[in-house]
Amino acid sequence: MNWISPLTALYAGAVTVPLLLLLYFLKLKRQESVVPSTLLWKRAVQDLQVNAPFQRLRRNILLLLQMLMLLAILAALAGPVMSLHSLKVERYVLLIDNSASMNADDVEPTRLGYAKEQATIFVRSITEKSFMSFRNRPPQIMVITINDSAKVVCNFTSDTNQLVRTIEHIRAGDGRSSLGQGLALARAYCQSPDPEANNRSAEQAAQLVLFSDGCIQDLQNLKVSANELIFQAIGSSSDNVAITAMKARRSFENAQRIDVFVTLTNYNDTQVNTDLQLSINGDLKAVKNLVIDGKKIDALSKKVINGKVSVDFEVSSLEFGIIEAKLLRKDILAVDDTAWSIISAPRDVKTLLVTDNNVVLESALKACRQIKLFKCTHAEFSQMDSKAMEITRSYDVFVLDNHDGASVGRGTYLVFGKPPQETGIEVAGQSQNQLIVDYRAKHPVLNYVNMDNLFVGKCYDLKLPRDSEVLAEFDKGPAIGLIRRNNSTFITAGFDVMDSNWPFEPGFVLFVYNAVAFLAEEAGLVEKTEIQVAEPVSLLGLNADQEALFNGPGYKDEKIIVTKSGKLRLPVMERAGLYELKLPDADPKVYAVNLLDSEESDIAPKDQLSLVGQEIKASESTVKRFNMPIWPYIVAIVLLLVCAEWLVYNSKIRI
Amino acid sequence: MNNNRRKLTQLLDADFMARLDSMDVLSKKILHGKMQGQRRSKRRGQSVEFADHRPYVAGDDLRFVDWNIYARLEQLFLKLFMEEQDLTVHIAVDVSGSVGYGEPAKSTFILKLAAALGYVSLVNNNRLTMSSFNLGIVNQLKYMRGRNYLPNIAEFLLDAEFEGMTDFDNVCKQIAATQSGTGIMIILSDFFFKEGYESAMRRIIGRGYDLYAIQVLSPQEFDPEMTGDLKLLDIEDSDVAEVTISNALIKHYKKNLSAYCAQLQDYCVRRGSSYVLAKSSDSVEMLVLNYLRKINLLR
Repeated sequence: MNWISPLTALYAGAVTVPLLLLLYFLKLKRQESVVPSTLLWKRAVQDLQVNAPFQRLRRNILLLLQMLMLLAILAALAGPVMSLHSLKVERYVLLIDNSASMNADDVEPTRLGYAKEQATIFVRSITEKSFMSFRNRPPQIMVITINDSAKVVCNFTSDTNQLVRTIEHIRAGDGRSSLGQGLALARAYCQSPDPEANNRSAEQAAQLVLFSDGCIQDLQNLKVSANELIFQAIGSSSDNVAITAMKARRSFENAQRIDVFVTLTNYNDTQVNTDLQLSINGDLKAVKNLVIDGKKIDALSKKVINGKVSVDFEVSSLEFGIIEAKLLRKDILAVDDTAWSIISAPRDVKTLLVTDNNVVLESALKACRQIKLFKCTHAEFSQMDSKAMEITRSYDVFVLDNHDGASVGRGTYLVFGKPPQETGIEVAGQSQNQLIVDYRAKHPVLNYVNMDNLFVGKCYDLKLPRDSEVLAEFDKGPAIGLIRRNNSTFITAGFDVMDSNWPFEPGFVLFVYNAVAFLAEEAGLVEKTEIQVAEPVSLLGLNADQEALFNGPGYKDEKIIVTKSGKLRLPVMERAGLYELKLPDADPKVYAVNLLDSEESDIAPKDQLSLVGQEIKASESTVKRFNMPIWPYIVAIVLLLVCAEWLVYNSKIRI
Repeated sequence: MNNNRRKLTQLLDADFMARLDSMDVLSKKILHGKMQGQRRSKRRGQSVEFADHRPYVAGDDLRFVDWNIYARLEQLFLKLFMEEQDLTVHIAVDVSGSVGYGEPAKSTFILKLAAALGYVSLVNNNRLTMSSFNLGIVNQLKYMRGRNYLPNIAEFLLDAEFEGMTDFDNVCKQIAATQSGTGIMIILSDFFFKEGYESAMRRIIGRGYDLYAIQVLSPQEFDPEMTGDLKLLDIEDSDVAEVTISNALIKHYKKNLSAYCAQLQDYCVRRGSSYVLAKSSDSVEMLVLNYLRKINLLR
């Protein structure tokens, strides 16, 4: 059973019940008068009642007042609404920003809370039906939340209660704000005819109403038509100092030493003085006092440059640890004042180098302290029982030098030369004198690797499968690829290192280190535990149908089941904080989810949106009612009538 | 005599009493009396007024033989004369709670009227019985005759307390049971009897009384001055009637009052009795000296 307007019933009860009691007491309060006999009076009353088929309406002011009261109550219950404007648009899309910056508490209760209030007023004023309206049918409203991704929380409807409930249930997230997806969704829904709405959606463009602080990252890629978007600006202050970067890692030289790097950004106009506190597993390790300059405008580019300070801490621990960096200065956005990093206990990566005698590759691998290197020849490798190695997990990573394309067992491989059969890569032929024309510098494997000067004398022409990733490309085809097949991961370079100038480049050692680290992570040895808000996380290679428990902000003992293929997809982590995953017969895994976004932390409210070639100014005022309910005024009139009746009654009985 | 008058003057003033001295009570009926008096009775007896002749029978008093007829007819006839007897007057005063109502109170009017009628009765040597009643007969002075009893009736009336409910049927039953002989019965009341008055009055009339029903109402009963929503309390039995005073209701009330009085009058007239309606604000003197003479209760 649904109550369409339970509040109306409550208000009606609150008014009518005391009123009824009041009338009851008024009835009891008849003035007593002594007469010699009631004989004739009773007869007179009987005659009056019996003789007239209808009692004549007596000229009684009390009766008149009571009639007026009753009419007023009925009118109030009917819920009259006065239309203040004639609405031209029949469809509205409310885009409500629930990104991290909307958690700022410079307006009461928060920016998101205020945005929800404004949206609720808007919805009520648009959808409340009126018998004094110019409209034939009520407009429809859709609600979309925007943060990292856009989500339709309520499709087009005219149901006020459904819309209000939906808006009430919008929860804040700690992600970035991106309007592009929201616009695409809104346009897609508007253009597809809705059978429930008499297929009228395609007739007219919907009016988009954005409730946001304007801190949106993809504005420069967007364009809207004239008057398509109304911007309701939320927020009043920009006071924020944020942790915009944090990284903790064990030293290459000394596994006990942990280096923590933290970058702080000041978004205020003035210089701020703050303390930064660092703790491991809840134990305070260090506090640093920092002075951060305020933001400045660059004289040449006219761009705003925020004050930044980078600090590093050096702490010792050989154990697993949750490192927390916390700013002690209070500002209006709390989510970016704390950041976490997970540091695991040190463990060597067992790496098997299969080479006949490649000193360069061996030296590069030996340069990495965390790699425990084993070595064998191709002949020895072909003799090994790959199945047994797979089961015993003898090696974490295999490095195949100048491979001849022979078949290999399951595992994680860095291959130089002809790719193994399992990769599914076809070798079309061979080429000579190739230069790298493009490479993905931001991929973890090529992080800090400069490949601009790489020259290869002889290489294979590879044809990668469609689902593989090309990390670097010669002008004739792929140079380095990433392929995942049957729980195996391959990074293949289609050339012999010794046929290139790469060993002479500093980037080669970095590439080898990155590749081994990446493959170790793929092998499940080094897990990714530091992630950004709303970043999807999946674990592979688990026992099928296991039940895992997930805890963290917004989750309490959430059960997740491992799929038949051994994959576990973690729920979306929309809030910054620490999340814990408990798997049966395994140590709990902890994930640190951080905002660490310098643009999202820039929470200065904008009074206009700068889209491609157009500026959308914020509405000058807060949301105003389109419709005005009249019933509160009628209730006030009822109360006045009650008072009037009481006065009349008292004046009468004094006569 | 002066002492008597002084006491009675609390109800009647001296001039009024002087005028009452010349009046007497009349009965429409020729009634039997107890003693030889000043009234004609149905009996043949000793008086100067000739009534009839009858044949002489042995043993008759020879003094009443009409010798003139014997001289002419040589037969003995006896002369019969109307016998004059005294008149019994019974005044019944309602002392229930409702009679105390009104401005001026009905009780004041009724006491004065009872005193006047009692005075006239006593000064003319009639046999006077005065009763007060509510649920039954509360007090009673029986068979008074002559001026000597004037203080008694004064005391009787001045001591009357108007309270309680009325059971008129019971009262009439008691009167009919205790009173022997006939005479004039004057009932002074507002006649607001919820159980009705018909059967009660039938008992009185059936006994041969010459009944005078004098109904006294207050001006407020004739023209109620009430407004608003009222809870009317019956002064006698505390019965409640919740009314909202309106013109229509007042109109119905007055109509009912007129009908009630007319019904009582009709009842009395049909049975050879007399009915008088008086307002407590009227003058008792005017009623006694004019109206009661017109209807031949007094002469």
